[in-house]
Amino acid sequence: MSSQRRGIHLDQSELLCKKGCGFYGNTGWLGLCSKCWREENQREKQKQIQEDWALAERLQKEEEEAYASRNQKAQSQPSITPFNKFEERKTKEKSSKVNTVTKFFTPSSKTQPKKDASPFDAQASPSPSSSASRHSSLDTDHATREFIDFLKPLKSGREIFKQCRAFTESMAYKRDMGADELSECVQDFYQNLSDRLQTQFKGSSEHVESVMDEVEKYMMTRLYKEVFCPETTDDENKDLAIQKRIRALHWVTIEMLCVPVDEEIPEVSDSVVKAITDVIEMDSKRVPKDKLGCITRCSKHIFNAIKISKKEAASADDFLPTLIYIVLKANPPRLQSNIQYITRFSNPSRLMTGEDGYYFTNLCCAVAFIEKLDGQSLNLSSEEFELYMSGQASPYWPQAAGASSCSPGSAALSQVHKRLDLLTGLGERQERVMEKARQLENDLIDWTDEVEQKVQSVLQTLPPETQNPTTTTATATSAASSAIDSDNVENELLPPPLQPQVFAG
Amino acid sequence: MAAGGAGGNSGSGNRTYSFKVVLLGEGCVGKTSLVLRYCENKFNDKHITTLQASFLTKKLNITGKRVNLAIWDTAGQERFHALGPIYYRDSNGAILVYDITDEDSFQKVKNWVKELRKMLGNEICLCIVGNKIDLDKDRHVSVEEAESYAESVGAKHYHTSAKLNKGIEELFLDLCKRMMETAQAEERLKGNGASQSASSRRGVQIVDDEPQATPAGGCCSSG
Repeated sequence: MSSQRRGIHLDQSELLCKKGCGFYGNTGWLGLCSKCWREENQREKQKQIQEDWALAERLQKEEEEAYASRNQKAQSQPSITPFNKFEERKTKEKSSKVNTVTKFFTPSSKTQPKKDASPFDAQASPSPSSSASRHSSLDTDHATREFIDFLKPLKSGREIFKQCRAFTESMAYKRDMGADELSECVQDFYQNLSDRLQTQFKGSSEHVESVMDEVEKYMMTRLYKEVFCPETTDDENKDLAIQKRIRALHWVTIEMLCVPVDEEIPEVSDSVVKAITDVIEMDSKRVPKDKLGCITRCSKHIFNAIKISKKEAASADDFLPTLIYIVLKANPPRLQSNIQYITRFSNPSRLMTGEDGYYFTNLCCAVAFIEKLDGQSLNLSSEEFELYMSGQASPYWPQAAGASSCSPGSAALSQVHKRLDLLTGLGERQERVMEKARQLENDLIDWTDEVEQKVQSVLQTLPPETQNPTTTTATATSAASSAIDSDNVENELLPPPLQPQVFAG
Repeated sequence: MAAGGAGGNSGSGNRTYSFKVVLLGEGCVGKTSLVLRYCENKFNDKHITTLQASFLTKKLNITGKRVNLAIWDTAGQERFHALGPIYYRDSNGAILVYDITDEDSFQKVKNWVKELRKMLGNEICLCIVGNKIDLDKDRHVSVEEAESYAESVGAKHYHTSAKLNKGIEELFLDLCKRMMETAQAEERLKGNGASQSASSRRGVQIVDDEPQATPAGGCCSSG
């Protein structure tokens, strides 16, 4: 400890703006004051945007050159060229890629700490989608960066990026098109791109899939604002309709749907809550794949709940009713919009055969079921159904007086009651145990008393004559021993020690 | 993505087929047992490790061709019957299961067949499966009736027992072969220039060889 002073100590000059403008600086702004920081920032941002554009243009040029020269070569020696050319370009790209990519990334890494610098984005960004809100442009920036990062090690990464970017930008001009046509465009693009990737990465469909995932992520993050629940469709009305419908069906119970889930078990009700959370979370994601991920996670929680309740692997017979129940409980926001969005813009192969597709299909089924739900499908008479729907009766009412445990709304309450009962039971038991313990203590005390008494009585009844004959024999040591055993009761009964006597000789 | 194996070994240059198969049938006929037996070789296992038996995948290699099978179980309860079309949309094959001891379940199969043929035409490969042949003494659906019916609707008929693991491998293997044939036939049709844009986007077949001539300058295509 060399320094005596502890804590924060700063010189006055250190607090001032590093540019020397006289204002105070802020460490969060790298020691600059707000004005200088803004200036600095703008410059960097502009630089980044310019570089971005330069890169894009250079890419375009290179691409065209390569394409032209390839075509020429191809004419001269058509059989081998494509591959040769491909190799050549690969090496060329490798060398040039390193610096372009690092250039592209340096400004962004510097400007990372700030969160709210997008006004420049909006005014300078060339993409027509820049009119979107600050937040979303930040998101899209992030997505772009990640996408480039992902494509970096790929031999045809640039080509892919260029295409996706061009396509994404072209989509902005198609805003007036119907949702189905937009979907058609995107799907065609996916198909074409994946076909071409297929021919490039010979045989490895996993690889193509992973690239397509990233392509989807990049494109849909950028297009989300325009294509999610577009004005040209009645998605919004459908959202409201299903929301109302689900709200009206609040009275549906586990028993009516024959859901094989026992919410009394704590882990099960935990899983149910998690499933509900996941299906609600779907709305917050932008990329179809992420939305599907939410549905899948929700489904996994449902399976878990069923497995714990039934102690066997869940079949579709169990799963679908439970999912319906979860959707009814969750009433996920913008449900129809989300479903439509995923259907329109997700990678088709994922919906067709993948696991995510299966759960998504089940969700669609659940929604379809809820829409068409009538008394018959809940094993109710149509009168009962009408009564419940109009709120004139509730399935909980008859039981409400008795046990409230049947109502899912008061499930938590009933659990609390149960716990309370358990606790009072435990308290009673403890009381009893304490009582017993006290009794035991008393018994113990009594017992020791008794033993003492007995010993006393035995001692009293014992005749004092029963003495060891050896003690009577007089020895020189007996005095000492008697001193040691001074508290010996018996000693008092002993005859006095013999005194040495002198015999006159 | 369901079967995210690290099988990136290229070189075979062959196509990989991805097929979707739906399982239809009344509740309690043993649909779930059937797939669990096929994919995990389990029956009424007390020590369950599988979380669910409603979506299962299986990778096969048939005569050198790779096949990814995705088996979709469906809810069999009557009240979910109307949701069928959502499930079997875009599927390549359907397995219609009935319980040989239950006449009603066979009637349900007949309904399904009618519906599937109406909605999907002949594109879909149908298998009618009489399950629980270990309970043959309680049989209520006669073999002849079932087989002649299957033939009349262009479906194959199988007898299986998930309990005894009988006939299940054959069922799926046969179905895969038939689906491959259908896919190949469809492709030939497309190769003849009769491709419809609608079916080209079904995306269930992934063709590795034969690069489709894409006009925009791809990397390898020479223009």
